[in-house]
Formats: sequence, structure tokens, C-alpha cells
Amino acid sequence: MTHAGSARVSLDPQFAPSFPQAALIMLRNPQLRKNVAHAIDVIQAKRGKLVVEKTDWQELRSAASAIRFHVLDNLGAYLEQFESRCIAAGGHVHWASDAAQARQIILDLLRQANASEVIKIKTMTSAEIQLNPFLQAAGVSVYETDLAEIILQLGDEDPSHIVVPALHINRSQVREIFARTMGLKNLSDDPKELTNAARTYLRQKFLTVPTAISGANFLIAETGTVAVVESEGNGRMCLTLPRTLISLVGIEKVLPRFQDLEVMLQLLARSAVGERMNPYTSLWSGVTPGDGPQNFHVVLLDNGRSSILAKTKERQTLKCIRCAACMNTCPVYRQTGGHAYGSVYPGPIGAILTPQLMQLKHAQTLPYASSLCGACYEVCPVKINIPEVLLELRAQVVNQERRQAGRFFDLMYLGLRVANLIFATAWGFHAAQRMGRIGSRFFTRKDGWIHSLPSIGAKWTQTRDLRGLPKQTFHQWWAERVKGEK
Amino acid sequence: MKQPVQSRQRILDRIRAATPTAAKDASQLADSYAALPRAYIRRGSLSAQARVELMIQRLREYDAEVVECTSAELADAITTQLAASGRHLFVAPSGTPNEWLVTSAWKITGLEWTIDHGLPIDEHEIEKAEGVVTAATCGIADSGTIVLHHSATEGRRVLTLLPDYYLCILRSSQIVETLPEYFSRCQQPPALHPSDKDLSLGTPSLATYISGPSATADIEMTRIKGVHGPRILVVIVVRDN
Amino acid sequence: MRASLFITCYNDTLFPETGQAVVRLLERLGVTLDFHPKQTCCGQMHSNTGFRGEAFSQAKRFVRLYQEKDNIVIPSSSCVAMIRDQYPSLFEELGNEDLRKDFAALVPRVFELSEFLIDRLGVEDVGATFTHRVVYHASCHGVRVLNLGERPYKLMAKVRGLDLAPLPNVDRCCGFGGTFSIKNAEVSSAMLTVKLQDILSTRAEYCTALDNSCLMHLGGAMHREYAGMKTIHLAQILASTEADSQAEATL
Repeated sequence: MTHAGSARVSLDPQFAPSFPQAALIMLRNPQLRKNVAHAIDVIQAKRGKLVVEKTDWQELRSAASAIRFHVLDNLGAYLEQFESRCIAAGGHVHWASDAAQARQIILDLLRQANASEVIKIKTMTSAEIQLNPFLQAAGVSVYETDLAEIILQLGDEDPSHIVVPALHINRSQVREIFARTMGLKNLSDDPKELTNAARTYLRQKFLTVPTAISGANFLIAETGTVAVVESEGNGRMCLTLPRTLISLVGIEKVLPRFQDLEVMLQLLARSAVGERMNPYTSLWSGVTPGDGPQNFHVVLLDNGRSSILAKTKERQTLKCIRCAACMNTCPVYRQTGGHAYGSVYPGPIGAILTPQLMQLKHAQTLPYASSLCGACYEVCPVKINIPEVLLELRAQVVNQERRQAGRFFDLMYLGLRVANLIFATAWGFHAAQRMGRIGSRFFTRKDGWIHSLPSIGAKWTQTRDLRGLPKQTFHQWWAERVKGEK
Repeated sequence: MKQPVQSRQRILDRIRAATPTAAKDASQLADSYAALPRAYIRRGSLSAQARVELMIQRLREYDAEVVECTSAELADAITTQLAASGRHLFVAPSGTPNEWLVTSAWKITGLEWTIDHGLPIDEHEIEKAEGVVTAATCGIADSGTIVLHHSATEGRRVLTLLPDYYLCILRSSQIVETLPEYFSRCQQPPALHPSDKDLSLGTPSLATYISGPSATADIEMTRIKGVHGPRILVVIVVRDN
Repeated sequence: MRASLFITCYNDTLFPETGQAVVRLLERLGVTLDFHPKQTCCGQMHSNTGFRGEAFSQAKRFVRLYQEKDNIVIPSSSCVAMIRDQYPSLFEELGNEDLRKDFAALVPRVFELSEFLIDRLGVEDVGATFTHRVVYHASCHGVRVLNLGERPYKLMAKVRGLDLAPLPNVDRCCGFGGTFSIKNAEVSSAMLTVKLQDILSTRAEYCTALDNSCLMHLGGAMHREYAGMKTIHLAQILASTEADSQAEATL
């Protein structure tokens, strides 16, 4: 349950309700809204201070954007370079066209390793391909090891943020989940005690489960290196203790050279968690004898990324380094939280990434889940012009609608088509204004205001009044003035 | 289900079709990479003294305990810290200098050193250890980051992960101010400022960057320190420059 | 100096008093104004909702109408943002070389009101008096697309008697967002509630802005909730003189 009493919103874009419908469910949940606002305020305050302190912040953003664009423009060459360096260093590289293929590759690797259980580091990419339920169904036990992911897994909840996935859950809710599933009757709701409970619960898993699955923050083409950025240390555990490690990584995550981390790491920790550097960053290239997993596999995932790559305006979506600064600053996300977006990628980045990964067959309401305020673009460390992509996707959604019979029943669609005719000529515009003035008289009360409108107008008047149309438009006033001057 | 080789080719074909302005060859790619704008701060401006002080300040902000000493005082400083830790079972990498081990073993009763010559983890040898002592590769003052390249004096990765107490020996000559300075030392060939001595680090195939104890803010954004990995970090900064 | 007033479709229909104030203000400053009788809309609502072809036809029409005009003044930062920020890509995709050239020649001559006053006329003191406590709402398009920066504050600083209240979270969106206010009415209202809390906390008498679109949304809720605050476009404050004991406020 997303929260006691409220309906659950599917995070599968194929089945999720429209954003307005899902948002309405979330808006009615005071606990969720309070938790989200609190979490956001904390991160934002920390980030704000550090951005001011980092006097070359804008230069870092420019460099990061340029590096990411350069990689995307030459993605084939860099992926092939990464592959050959990784293999030379003793790793294996697999290529998965889509989610189904990625899941199967991973399952086959687990079977080859005789793995009946795996420990996992949080990776949104694995949630994107719905890996856990697939593995569980195939008889593999999956143990999440990030505190947030454990909370979600044990509590049967869904992630609502890409960096702090359980930010919608408060301490007493966590206490209830842990007490129930770990059998700890006297557990308090003190976050320190809860964290210790998780530490103890996981220690044995780390020391005994020989197979791990991770994602990656970056791949370095020059050296065949994989980089994982984290705070808790469960990453280091999963990346060094097991015999077999499988890293699932989107094809867009590659950087050209080791040196490029100097830009990305400075931006990522400040943007994601409001710190100068996150506690632990792990870098490894292939296999090192005597240190860490000796059986290492990278699974490169396409799953729609190459289609996004092909589109001029939309390609910038792939620059994303998954820092979540956009959703932390988004005034829409602040009110609804992540579940409203019906995807494992919520917020502004989710509003552009999810519909594109779905080839715009689903999630068509997500590009409209924005007031186009531009705050996301302002904070994005790699300068993704999210509003620009939102507008492009809206145009594509409308073009889809133009070919559908259902458009004749869509009042917004019809209204805008008519409005376009009205704006085409001055006489049409003025005639429509006169008709509007006459028509609105019925709804205008004695105080000169409209308190209630029918049909689509009710969407306005359900929470706002509207001042009645003035007797005289500006252009009528001007025409009179001109006449008067003659 | 498509065969793996076909998948690779299909993905690369799709990528190639999607990127018509890609560089035609390695040299064009290198030129285009070299032309990328890098107007951010590459080199710091602090004096060596101020740099070390900044590193110490940042470490203390992370609740790490920091002490300073000279090279001559190092072995005794290690002994003092280990004695103060209240722990007795310590593990150290195979390349650890003898004088660190001998002095402590001589001065602290009950202290046991286990030297990691590739201990199998499932025998819980490392898990039994109460603390670990290693050297480091670099310190980045701006963010208080300790860099490990897991050489013989730093040990394999699990060594600085499982024990609850970590004593790290960092030389002041290893401390840089900015992250780009560290990376310039790792480049092949290293992009060193003329005033640096030969400080080339080489590009590591394994590295861990440590910036404070592990932490989580997953519960109500309350920052809790020490989830997995050592909960106690002590750093001895050796004034060697 | 000559200038041509583009009033905007919604100001023409819903807020003629704002246009009248702009006329009063600019004529007082010695500007000779004209008003193209054939003007309708800049195309923003269509472009923002995804109706690109329709937006393009309106954009084309705008360029044709104003091609010969100098100093086009627009009392709406979102409309100016549309012209500067979105017309280029519309013309790139759907227009031809001539249209792009005409637009390129035109765009430096398009000004949002506060830009016209500060940058083109070079005035900060417009001779205004408005003896009230006022809170200024910084519309997103003005802040982030037009980078208006200090301009509205410089103008307000010279208005006699104006007591400007600082607004907490000044950069946060009010939730209007054009058709967003209808398509996502509930989220829009939630954002509105939060914004209103900040605005009402200033105990100002008036909430002002450079966009009647945001003010329509904020003012509509203030009226519904008997909040005791009124909205007024900044043009009307700047047009107000000592002779006016109370400016015509948008209630």
C-alpha cells in the first residue's frame, strides 16, 4: 500500500492511471505530502549552500553538458572501446536490446553461477526492466541491500524518488515494517535503531551470498572501468565480497576518459544529496586477481535509448546522470510525490524519459505534468532543457490525437482548434469576444464575478473565481479614443 | 530470443544510424574530445599548509578523528591511536612497513596483528578483526576525500570495509586541494603542474574514494552515520613536506 | 519615441484596464503609441499545449503584422517569452528563410513592459505614487526566460509610498502554467494554495506581477477565499499618480 487507506498506483507505465488521476490520489494524502516536502526541503537547503560555495558551478555544468553531448554523438565508438577494455581486463560484456532480453541474460548468468539467491545494490535500471519479480518467479531470491530498498521490499511498497526512494515513508511506518518482518518486537522508531537493525539483518547476507547484481553510475571507455557512487556501504559490500557480479547499465552511461569523473563527481553529490562528495565511490575495471569478484559481467541495456538518441531535440534526455535535482526543485513533484508519475522514473526527468522509453505508446499524460516553470532546467547539472523536451513531446502527443476519432470528444482539443480559427482574423477574434461576453453574462453574479462554470470551465471554478468579462475590450476602448481624438 | 551477437550488432547499428555526425575515426574523435570546454577550476590556490589544514577540517566535519605527526613520530603515533581504540585484533595489508607493526606489538598488551596475504573471507578472519590500518594514495582537501588505489600498503578492498575501526595513514605530500588535481596525476601520461614533484599515480584499475563514514538519510532525511563499513575513522596526517 | 502596443489576447478580453494603464503610463513618459487593430494572439497557449501547426500560423501572423513596427511593447512576460524562446524553433521547423529573416529583424524590437522602461527608455522613476503595501510575484517566464532580474524591483523602488514586502520562496511557480491550470487543475490548485500561503503571510494589500495570467489564478483564489488581498498588474501601479487616490485595482 502506498499509504494506509489510499489506493496504490502502478509504477508500470503500461498500466498506470493518467497523471491527473494518480496525482489526485496522492494529493489527498497528507502524510505523503508532509514527508515529501520535508525531504525536499532538507536536500534543497544543503544543495543550495554548496552550489553557492562552488564558484565554478556554471563552468562545471557547461563542461558536463558538453562531455555528455560528445559521448552521445559518438556513442558507438565509446561503447565499443569500453567493451574491449573491459574484456581485456577479464570482464564479460553482454548487450540487451530490450527489457525481456536483459532479464533473460541475467537469469542465464545466475543459472550458470548456480545462484539461488542474489544480493542487490539499488539500481533504477533494474526496476525499469522489472527484474526482481522476474527472478523471484524463476526461483531466485533477491535481497535488496539499500536501506530504502529494504524498506520498500519488506513493506511491499514502490519507490517514489530515484535517489531517496522511500522518502514518502516516515519513521513510525519504517518501525512497523521492520518490527513485523524482522521479528523485532521492541524496536523503537528512532532512525539510528532502525538503521542498526538493517545493518545486523544484512551482515550475514553480505558475508554468505556469493552473487550480486548492481547498476552503475558511469562507465569509463578509456579504461573499461565501472563506477558506483553510494552513501551506505552496501555497494562496497556487494561489489567486493561475492564471487560473481553482474552490473546492469544503460548504454548512455559511458564517459570517454577516467579524467571526466572530475567533472561528474563534483556535480553529482552536490546535486543528489547536498554534499561535497558522497561517502563511498567504488571503481573497478574487469577482474583483479585476489580482490573482489572473479566472475564479472556487464549487461548493456538499450530498451529504447537508441530511439531517443536518434531524435535531435529529445537526445538531451540521455545526458541525465540520475541526480534527482530536478524533482527536488519541481513544484509539481513537491505536491504529488513520485508515485503520481506511474513510473520508476518520476519528476521532470521521468516526465520526458518514461514516455520516450514507451515510444509514446503509454504515459502520454506525463509531458503535461508540468507548469513549464523551468526550475528543473536551472538546476540540472548536465543542462537538460527539460521544458524544451516536454513541449516537443506534447506536440507529438497532439499529433497522435489528430489521427484519433476520440478527438471529437476531447473538449480541450476542440476548444484549441476553434481558438486557432478565432485568432486567425481580427473580426473572428472580436466576434468571439462579443459572444463570450454575452454567454458569460449568465454565469456572472451581481458582484461581477463568475463562481461556477459548466463542463471544462468547472476545472477552473472548482477552486477559483473568475472576474466577469468587462463590458468593453481594450481594442474597443482604443477605437473609441481614436474616434474621440478625430 | 535473439542471439547475443545479433543483439550487439543490432544495437550498434541503431546507434550508428542515430548518430550521423559521429567522428569518422579515432583521430577525429580525439580532436573533438580535446575541444570540449573545461573552464572549471583545475588547480587550487591554497598553500601546502592551508591545504593540509583544509583536509583536516573536512575530515573532522565528518567526525573522523585526526592527529598530526612527523615521519619520525609515525610509529609511535600509530601505537597511541591503537592503544586508545580499546581494540586488540587488527588486520593490515601485506605491504605494511614493519616499524608500524613492531612498535605497536611491543607497546600494547594483547594486540594481535593479522597480515592479509589473501585471507579467505568465509573463514571470517577479516570479519573477526576489530580494526584495520593502511596507508593511502591521495587526499583531496576540498571534499575531505581519502583515495585508495588498493596497492600493497593499502590492501584489497574488503580489508578497509569489514572492520569497524579504520586507521588511515595519510602523508601531507599526498594531499591535493581539488578533485581535478588528483585526476591529473592519474592521467597517462600524467598532466602534472611543473611545480609538482614526480607525483604520477597511474590510472588505477581499482579505487575507492572515502569521504566520511557511511551514512544514510533514507529515514525522514535524518542523517545516520555508520551503516555498513567502518563506523570509526581515525586519520594520522604525516607532515612530510 | 514611438511604440506599438501588443495588448495580448487575454488582456484585451479580460483586463483592458491594464492596457489603459500602459497607455497612460507611456504617454506620460512622452511615448507616442499606436495599436495595430488586427492583432489577436501570439500563439502561446497552442504552442504550450502541443498544437505546433496552429501556434505557427499565429506566430507567422504576428511577424507579418509587426514587421514594420518599432518598439513593440507587451505587458506580459509569458508572451514575450513565447516570442523570444519558441518562435525560433517554430520558424526553424515550419517556416521558410524569409520568415526567419523577418523574425530575426523583428525580435530585438520586442520588449516586455519593464524591459521597455528600463532598457529602452532608460527610466526607473516613472513618476508614480501608490501608497500601499505590495508583494511582487515574480512570474517564471520573467525570471527564467527573460531574465528580468532587478528591473521590476528598480521600478517599484521609485514608486512613492510603495511598501514592498519580501516574498518567501519568491522563485516558486504559482501553478498557473496556462492550460496546465485546466488539464491538471487539482495539482495547479495545490501549488496555488502553497503559493498563496507565502503571499498572504506578507500582509500586503496588493499582490502585483508583470503577468495577468498568474494574477488571474492567484486573484481568483483570493476572491473565492475572501482572503482580503487584491491583485493588480504592475503597469497599473506604475500608471498611478498622486492624483489617483486609489488605482483601479483588479479586485
